Amino acid sequence: MEVLRNALDFSDFPRVDLCVAALVASFLLIFPLFHFSSFAMATMIQFLMFSLYGMGWNTIGGYGGQVDLGKAQYVGIGAYTTSVMLIRWDVPFWVSMPVGMSFAVLWSFIIGYPLFRLKGHYFAIATIATSLVLKDLFEVWDFVGAARGLEISPIKYHPPDFLRLIFKEDVYYYYVILGFFFLGIFYVNWFRKSRLGFQLRSIKDNEDVARSLGINVHWAKVKTYAIATAFVSLVGSFHACYIKNIEPEDTMSLDISILIALMAMLGGAGSLWGPIIGAGVLIPLKSYLKEWLGAKAGLVGIDLIIYAVIIMLISAVEPRGIWGIVEKARRRRSV
Amino acid sequence: MKRYGMTLMVVFGILALMGLLMPSPAPAARVVKIGVIYPLTGGAAAAGRELRAGAELAAEIANGVMADLPMTMAKNSGIKSLGGAKIKLIFKDHEGNPTLGADLAKKLILDDKVDGILGCYHSSVTKTVSAVCEQYGVPMINGTSTSPALTKRGFKWFWRTTPHDRWFTKDLFELLKGLTEGKVRGVKAVPKKDIINLASACEKTEWGSHVSRLIEGLAKEYGFKLRKSLLYAAKAADLSSEVRSLKAARPDVMLFASYTSDAILMVKTLKAQKANPKIIWGQDAGFEKPEFRNTLGGDIVGILTRTVFLPKVVEIKAIAGKVNALYKKKTGNDLGGASARAFTGLQTWVHVLEKAGSTKPADIQKAANSIKIPGKELVVPWAGIKFSTSGEELGQNVLGSGLIGQYQKGKDGKVGLEIVYPFDVSSADMIFPFPGY
Amino acid sequence: MDILVGSLAAGILIGMVLALVAIGLTIIFGVMDIVNFAHGEFLMIGMYTGLLTAQGMGIDPLFTLPFAAVVGFLLGVICYYGFVKFLLRGPMVAQLLGTFGLMLFLRNVALLVFGSEDRAVHSGILVGRSFEVGMGVVIPATKLAAAGLSVVAFVTVWMLMNRTKVGKALTATALNSQGARYMGIPTDRMNALAWGIGAASVTIAGALIVNFWSVNPFVGLLFTMIAFAIVALGGFGSVPGAFFAGLVVGIITEIPGIWDFFTYTFNLDWMSRVPMTSFKYMWVYLAYFVIMVVRPRGLFGWKY
Repeated sequence: MEVLRNALDFSDFPRVDLCVAALVASFLLIFPLFHFSSFAMATMIQFLMFSLYGMGWNTIGGYGGQVDLGKAQYVGIGAYTTSVMLIRWDVPFWVSMPVGMSFAVLWSFIIGYPLFRLKGHYFAIATIATSLVLKDLFEVWDFVGAARGLEISPIKYHPPDFLRLIFKEDVYYYYVILGFFFLGIFYVNWFRKSRLGFQLRSIKDNEDVARSLGINVHWAKVKTYAIATAFVSLVGSFHACYIKNIEPEDTMSLDISILIALMAMLGGAGSLWGPIIGAGVLIPLKSYLKEWLGAKAGLVGIDLIIYAVIIMLISAVEPRGIWGIVEKARRRRSV
Repeated sequence: MKRYGMTLMVVFGILALMGLLMPSPAPAARVVKIGVIYPLTGGAAAAGRELRAGAELAAEIANGVMADLPMTMAKNSGIKSLGGAKIKLIFKDHEGNPTLGADLAKKLILDDKVDGILGCYHSSVTKTVSAVCEQYGVPMINGTSTSPALTKRGFKWFWRTTPHDRWFTKDLFELLKGLTEGKVRGVKAVPKKDIINLASACEKTEWGSHVSRLIEGLAKEYGFKLRKSLLYAAKAADLSSEVRSLKAARPDVMLFASYTSDAILMVKTLKAQKANPKIIWGQDAGFEKPEFRNTLGGDIVGILTRTVFLPKVVEIKAIAGKVNALYKKKTGNDLGGASARAFTGLQTWVHVLEKAGSTKPADIQKAANSIKIPGKELVVPWAGIKFSTSGEELGQNVLGSGLIGQYQKGKDGKVGLEIVYPFDVSSADMIFPFPGY
Repeated sequence: MDILVGSLAAGILIGMVLALVAIGLTIIFGVMDIVNFAHGEFLMIGMYTGLLTAQGMGIDPLFTLPFAAVVGFLLGVICYYGFVKFLLRGPMVAQLLGTFGLMLFLRNVALLVFGSEDRAVHSGILVGRSFEVGMGVVIPATKLAAAGLSVVAFVTVWMLMNRTKVGKALTATALNSQGARYMGIPTDRMNALAWGIGAASVTIAGALIVNFWSVNPFVGLLFTMIAFAIVALGGFGSVPGAFFAGLVVGIITEIPGIWDFFTYTFNLDWMSRVPMTSFKYMWVYLAYFVIMVVRPRGLFGWKY
């Protein structure tokens, strides 16, 4: 009960934030009623998926200050578990998703334990390395389709199939991921006020001080890493059912890892709203820049140049991301 | 306080705004919309440009009247059975990314309301796009993806005009068999023990790993020894360890499935390592690209590649010459395997629509399943186009065929491809064994 | 036996080339504690500079190295004053984000300007030459030249860092930038210099590499990753460390060849079936991971 109350308690935020959040939440709830284009719908699903990835990343990367650039391996573990179990044994999503999460968490303990001996840049690059190692292994592992990947056949199932999460219309997927999205927010809200959350922030501020206060620094990091992993693996499982096709090259690529970190960092690492804002800005920006400029002959890459300039500007102007800009302005006003 | 709340709202409002700003498709009369999904940017952008030009040329010919072109679709302006409806191509760029491809397919089907889809070059992207088409019951014709698995999925809305890799790999073994039997133009029968040892190196994603398996199976079937079969990362910076591994197996024949940059690197490394097999054969893609020839120049004389179209086809097929001239006027290049197949893909769309006389998916499906386009209509040297409607493979064109070309120095000193297989259309004597670099 | 010797020789050669790629990264990191994601993109620009000056001016690609160095130095300094300077105020997160943005920017500008085709040089003194040194070992002349230059570059950089006043100022900035500022060292200019030298050394590597590898706008990332592994293995900021780590990584990428040697020597069927070449770079990352965990500061690192 205590946990639930904490999760649902947002009272430490300014009222403006809560009003905006309520507005956005209600907009998200009724979004499909507007019947925008299917492209807008796909962009929204992407936005929700990456918000969730970002929230997961934010627990370890934001609150804990450990920059993790290897999240794609857990996307892969989740997606592969769900696909393999569905294709080979016809196991529904709601069973395979927790199984995938357990595998991912197990793997995160195996590599997390040695990994957290490292700090800073060493840690960041080591996470990339582990992710690439796992990808290379999946590329030759025949049981999971090796480099060819796995496809969930669109003609074998009868949509809408709520057990296996096979739908024809995107709107079903939208509401499923929206449900996870709200759960994710409540969870992170609880997390940041939990014992572990406070421990983590003190580790971020000064590890030695945290240790002298009796915090088991290493264990706190490993635990949080596992939590982040569970988030990512969940969305990975969803990704498998939504895209219906996974390949190591596509699902576990370095780009995904970096994009996940990028969203959270750009929005503002270490705040509840940061990853959501980051995903809310970057995903539509990327999609629509490409839509408007991408296919123009003679201007190949112009959309990504603009995208890159925006990333560079934000990182140079306000290192704490978009949320940092908001907070700075707010502070200046209150002085 | 309020103002910063506003800032936040603006940030989130971007989402809503972008949804609203989406241009709604304007209804236009007498237009058949075909969504075309190609890799216009990203690593395969050069191929994407060729593909786009090929499809565009076919659309121009179909929409206009060109009396001197002996093609049915050149005779009428637009689709006759649809009251002269014009073909409108809507291009989308998938960057070689399967997930993006599926998103684009959904967008084309739901937002742009296309009547059909053409694409997508990469087999992995074709896989996801065709799955979306299947779900929504929208017909898709594929002209350029060659993974055999694509037509083995029992899809009812997917047709493929190009022959697939099993065909092409079989062609290679037919050529090797022909060599031992003295069927190859300009080469005396070679004892089988001289070319019995094979080694293959294929890039390790979907396409290459399939090819690698095919080579393994067919080698057994034809009685050749596969001494070494390796998969490598196409983005590798260095291939010298792969090449030495191949060399160590002492093969007579080296077989490759490579994309562009790795094909170039592979040949350079072979040369640097002084590897001298009797035959080097490439499975299309990289080995057939203009960059391959431009970059390596004279070094590639004697290398074989499978393809479906090469400029020499012009000499045996008049219609190909005329289309090639038009293509050259448009782009400055000769037709290649990619552009010729993209052209044929759209041409097939025109024929299917003409036969269906409607844009209802069910009518198009019926027309596609019963269509037969004679070989004389096509630029590619196939017997025609007719899709299989039963058995293990659904929607595969059964009348297609491949070519094997060899790079040779022409009279003008330029290196170009000559046909060496099939034997009855060969345009030059085959150079055997591989002369070195 | 010739397979083994050949593999080791090739591994050492390629290792020296990779070390040359990594040296710039280690300088930048050592002086200012910033991981540069755009490093591979500098290499790509160096490759294009070498290629275009060789073709445009009709000179041998080998003589384009000075041009590449100038372009690289200017690029590094411009990047520093125009962008990276502002990143230094922020935490590591923002620096990663920023250099990642820089990488995307440079890559796509190159795509816009040069197109996505692969390009390579066709002629040159060394292009395509190679000689046999006996025992079936073939050594390509271009790689040998690159390896030689790599040694020269390392000695030069080492001398610069340890024997000159500027180098000492750089090292001081690296050790304690605040302290260095109090001692009257213009740290800002030192940082810019580090970026200039770092970028110049990697563009030189690019102009050399273009002699044997083709270039397209996307080549950067793989080299960035390998350079990361080398720099971290050797210890961030350590110049000799980068050199030896480069050799280690070079030999690791030749593991498939060594595996082949054992396969043929013992004639084991199961060994020939292991898809060793698919794992080529995996060994590099795995070695990196293991060595890091055992020795978190790298082989020669002094910064942790």
